Amino acid sequence: MIALGAIVAAGLVTALSVRDAVALDLVFTLLLYAVLGQSWNWISGYAGNISFGHAIFFGCGAYASALMVTHGLSPWLAIPAGAVAAAALAIVTGFPTLALRGHYFSIATIAVAAIVDALVRTQPWLGRATGFELPIASGWAALQFADKGPYIVLALVLFTAVQIATIALERSRLGYYLRALRANHAAAAAVGIDERSWKLLAFAWSAVIASCAGVLYAQYTLFVDPPSTIALGVSIDIALIGVVGGIGTLWGPAVGALVYVVLAKGVALELGGTGKGYDLVIYGAIICVIAALRPHGIVGAIVDGLRRRRGALELGAASATGGAA
Amino acid sequence: MEALTTFAQLLVGGVLTGLVFALVAVGLTLVYGVMDVVNFAHGEFLMLAMYATLGLALLGLGPLLGLPLAVIAMFLFGIIVYRVFVRRLLAGPPEATVFGTFGLLVLMQGLAQAVFSSDFLSVPSPPFAGTIRFAGLAVSQASVVEGCGALILTALLFAFVEYTETGRAMRAVAEDRIAATLMGIDVQRINGLAFGIGAACVGAAGGLLMLSYPVYPTAGVPFALTAFVVVALGGFGSISGALVAALLVGMLEVFGGFYLSPELKLVPVYLAYLVVVLVRPQGLLGRR
Amino acid sequence: MLARRLALALATALTLTALPLAPTGAADPPDIVIGSVLPLTGASAQTGAALRTAQLLAQDLVNGHVSYPLPMVGKSGLPHLGHARIKLVFADSQGKPDQARAAAEQLITQEHAVALIGCYTSSTTATASQVAERYGIPFLNPDSSAPSLTTRGLKWFFRTTPSDATFADNFFQFFGDLKRTKKIDVKKIAIVGEDGLFGAGAGDAEEQLAKKYGYTIVSRIAYTATTTEVNAEVQKVKAAAPDVIMMASYLPDALLFMRGFKDQSVQPQAIMAQDAGFIDPNFVRTEGKDAEGIFTREVFSLDIKHRNHAVPLINQLFELRFSGKPLDGNTARDFMGVLVLADALDRAGSTKPDAIRTALQKTNIPGNLTLMPWKNIQFDASGQNQGGSGIIEQIQDGKYETVWPFDVAVSAPIWPMPAWKH
Repeated sequence: MIALGAIVAAGLVTALSVRDAVALDLVFTLLLYAVLGQSWNWISGYAGNISFGHAIFFGCGAYASALMVTHGLSPWLAIPAGAVAAAALAIVTGFPTLALRGHYFSIATIAVAAIVDALVRTQPWLGRATGFELPIASGWAALQFADKGPYIVLALVLFTAVQIATIALERSRLGYYLRALRANHAAAAAVGIDERSWKLLAFAWSAVIASCAGVLYAQYTLFVDPPSTIALGVSIDIALIGVVGGIGTLWGPAVGALVYVVLAKGVALELGGTGKGYDLVIYGAIICVIAALRPHGIVGAIVDGLRRRRGALELGAASATGGAA
Repeated sequence: MEALTTFAQLLVGGVLTGLVFALVAVGLTLVYGVMDVVNFAHGEFLMLAMYATLGLALLGLGPLLGLPLAVIAMFLFGIIVYRVFVRRLLAGPPEATVFGTFGLLVLMQGLAQAVFSSDFLSVPSPPFAGTIRFAGLAVSQASVVEGCGALILTALLFAFVEYTETGRAMRAVAEDRIAATLMGIDVQRINGLAFGIGAACVGAAGGLLMLSYPVYPTAGVPFALTAFVVVALGGFGSISGALVAALLVGMLEVFGGFYLSPELKLVPVYLAYLVVVLVRPQGLLGRR
Repeated sequence: MLARRLALALATALTLTALPLAPTGAADPPDIVIGSVLPLTGASAQTGAALRTAQLLAQDLVNGHVSYPLPMVGKSGLPHLGHARIKLVFADSQGKPDQARAAAEQLITQEHAVALIGCYTSSTTATASQVAERYGIPFLNPDSSAPSLTTRGLKWFFRTTPSDATFADNFFQFFGDLKRTKKIDVKKIAIVGEDGLFGAGAGDAEEQLAKKYGYTIVSRIAYTATTTEVNAEVQKVKAAAPDVIMMASYLPDALLFMRGFKDQSVQPQAIMAQDAGFIDPNFVRTEGKDAEGIFTREVFSLDIKHRNHAVPLINQLFELRFSGKPLDGNTARDFMGVLVLADALDRAGSTKPDAIRTALQKTNIPGNLTLMPWKNIQFDASGQNQGGSGIIEQIQDGKYETVWPFDVAVSAPIWPMPAWKH
């Protein structure tokens, strides 16, 4: 909570004081990806169903935004419309697949996302391969701004809401059941936890969060097409963020997003001018190292480290009292 | 009559396509069967093998001559990757293997881009460019060579697993790792061998595929995606299942492309995966 | 020959040393910054590096004092701006729309670019040009061909390259010319293209124009570029029995289709390709004899009868800087793009956005002062250059020979294409 407050304060100060468009763009991207990573974390971290197709929910929001604006409707309507579409898609695809375990589920998400991608490319009303370009406008009614400040505020609002929702999830019955199912689904089922309905609930919320991020992305970038919103590559980016930071942790996605932004933008700027793909090399290497040595990601490693220290202290204290007695 | 010829031609095309898919999938299913790991970097192993084949071809060892070398190189590569990396993943939580091999995918694609650039590269004037004709049907020589390669590879792998001492040990590890350890089987060695053989299979596949495809850093991705579906359809770990499933997927794709729509031809393939894992999660010929 | 080589070497040496020799006064005007957004990393990074080299070459020629028959070259900067030099500043789009947007913003706000140029891929050009529109900064696009880019009603967007609609139109003009001169009659057309922005855009343009000119579309096929087989696609084309197949493919799928057409004896009068996979150096290398007779559209070729003798000289300069690789359609267009901006800046005599925009609108550079086979460079109200057109090449004896327009062609077209050799 303290960390969240600090981030909100820092974000607000940034939005109000910094005029540097590039820095603001980085902050916006960071917040957006942190939200997407957290959305992925709900189903893949807390519930343990690793998704490689999460971009389709992001796409729901982005396409909702594009459709609203190009049909002359308010982009604000895209928030509920995208959310409903994403939740419906999550429930329809999750109902049969969420009971699948491990790689069965992961490959099923790739299959579902590939089908969605192929269908979008054949639908004229969804812009086929060309996608949509959103006309330029300004102001809160159009949800588009010449300045970066309002975008940062919106992203910050979304990020804060999602972090608070995640804290609530961790403390709620849903979160408790999800962890129980992830730890041992047979035991959880034995005590009467209905796997399918609880996971569906988590999946639907996760999709809604991703859709909100999609609306914000579309209103910011003003361009929506399959490769930049629903393709496998976007899904993989989202999963990377979740994995690197640490799955099933509150701050994992934010840390993952930070690493992502630093690597994708920083390394590309420093080393990328040569077109050599070094960012991918560093990225891949980090994930390999994390997977081999610290399976719970960066945040997981820090938490483990803290626990160990605290454990050592307690042990030290216990032996000290023991010595006195 | 014409419709019938078209149908027969599509059938032949579907079978040959299926054999290419089998070529890529058998290595994946072996690794899965023995150690319960889906190697998400399988397509990148294929890509590496294709670059290796191209390199050998440019040195004068044309695709088929260089094949044994590519197989040996990939076998060693597989063993090294297992020893250095996959072994550690197996010690972690189950999702570590998903993330770990996924990280390997990203790493290998990045390295390929750094070393070879993102250009398409192909074997100059590859052999078997001609056409074979029979009974009004036509197929390219290269796809027949690839199909034969797939059948030979599958047969060899099947015989190895069924009839050799090491193969039996692999099956024992696949059945029950702890029991196998108690029986005195060195599980690490068997795992390493299986990973090496899986990579060697991809080495052979890469060598054959360079007859028809150019290589580039993400060249393995479309093959790997189909291979995941094939392995799941056939039953994770079942070698004969992978062959049957690959033929089925090849025909679904080709017939779907013709009678449904070319841009939706993968939809029936992915739907088939979803239906099978939901209705019969052990796959068509899987035992578990 | 020797004399020409010597002259060339001399010109090269002079150009390379032009910067230090440029006149330096006590009150040097500040450099004029042009922002360039290019895919310097990611899948198109190789092209990005080539485009960067071409743009920098143009910059140095504008700032230098060696003269060529090209606009604004060899005047030691921009005369009407006190011989101020232009300075290109680059930003990476990674080939991604959102990154291109950020790059454009960086160039405008941090580098204070007076104009932008870029971005090669159509989707990145779309987002970067919107940023320029928002800030009211002129945007010159020399190299993206999606027709939709100039139908957005943007005020600050100018495009020198012809769009896919023009390239498709060239195919039909070619058919018309063939009909007039050689009594060749084309009726049935099959359109085959990958289902991304490139293939779908080209296919849509071809379909529209075919209807307009009264041709029959017997088959329209979209497929996924990463497909591993094209059995169904080839059978569909075969069943439609077209006179001409129009293709928009990358290399792997182009090779699959070539093999499929050959195996299944799909024998049209001609295969007309939208460059991409069909002009990849690996295409002829892999296909060998089977590539003979394929037509492809191009924007530039070194072999055409040039109206401008600067072409081989600029090509030599480019080769010197880019490890011996010659100018191609992309690099030639980007080179010209920088010159068009320099020309507008100079005529504007000011770095105020409005003045540059007005100058761009009044641009009129005759074709013989460009590297391109164009009539001229003159923008219409939508910002599209009206004088642009493509060329059509045919693979003859393993080489790409320009066969249309007939007045710049070096070879006669071979029609119909040779039968497949089994």
